[in-house]
Amino acid sequence: MNSRSPQKVVSDFLDDFAVRDIDGALGNTAEDINVSVYGLGRHDTGRGTMRTVLADIVEAFPDLIVTVKRIITAGNVVTTVINVQGTQAAPYAGAINQEKHVDLDEVWRFVVAEDRITQIDAYWCQQQLYRRLGVKRFDQIAIV
Amino acid sequence: MSNASVIVSSRTAEQNAAVVTEFFDRYRAHDVDGMVDLCTINADFSYPPFEVWGKQRVLRGDGKVGTVGKPIWTGLINAFPNLSNVVHSVDANDEGDVVVQVDIGGTQQQPWGLVLPAGKTFSEPHIFIFRLNSDGLIESVTGYWNNAGISQQLGHMEVD
Repeated sequence: MNSRSPQKVVSDFLDDFAVRDIDGALGNTAEDINVSVYGLGRHDTGRGTMRTVLADIVEAFPDLIVTVKRIITAGNVVTTVINVQGTQAAPYAGAINQEKHVDLDEVWRFVVAEDRITQIDAYWCQQQLYRRLGVKRFDQIAIV
Repeated sequence: MSNASVIVSSRTAEQNAAVVTEFFDRYRAHDVDGMVDLCTINADFSYPPFEVWGKQRVLRGDGKVGTVGKPIWTGLINAFPNLSNVVHSVDANDEGDVVVQVDIGGTQQQPWGLVLPAGKTFSEPHIFIFRLNSDGLIESVTGYWNNAGISQQLGHMEVD
């Protein structure tokens, strides 16, 4: 049986995400993956959820650059500090496109079992993101 | 020439996790000096989401535990006198890395940054990454969370 280490599974996921290969990235995840994206208030189960999260980012920031700054492995839990950069080209999380550049440090924590990612917890600061996108108020995200 | 033996204390993941668990116990008890005592004298501190944008400069949560971390922890406890935390997971390895998922929350009684007190309560998921040295002391603390969640729970709707 060809089994990858948890760190390798996560690295493969992030490598695919970095080149905007969403199908490739999702190939490293379990069908019933648990997804929590705290900045978006999104907590759900299933590959479809993860596809939406990744696709929304790639669509809104087509020149996306994902840089892995640190990888910490503890058993089957892999925590990564990543930097995400891109220029907005479509609405994202309610914010209209003003072609602003985003440069954000994030932490994504992965749980891996049997060669697949079974859980992703993504942490970033939505306030920092909105600040960089020119949003002024949380209750009027589309108004700049 | 004598062969000087280098003594390297090897610490287990469980021992490293215990130090960080104690750190959050002390945070819950508002024992800031006790938190700092678990860190090296020159421990690094980084709270990337901590940005206070003024007209002429931006205050960032980067520096040392003693000079940036301690004032932030003390200020938080002053602003939220019932500040507490609930640790959900502690993942550690033998190399000194410890990752913690924890909810931090409290009820605001004093201004915090640009957020004026309205007696509102927040609870927000955080993730912390610690690095411990071979003596079991914390040599770096990094924390991430979503400030938008905290601001909105406290009734502060302005991004800045």
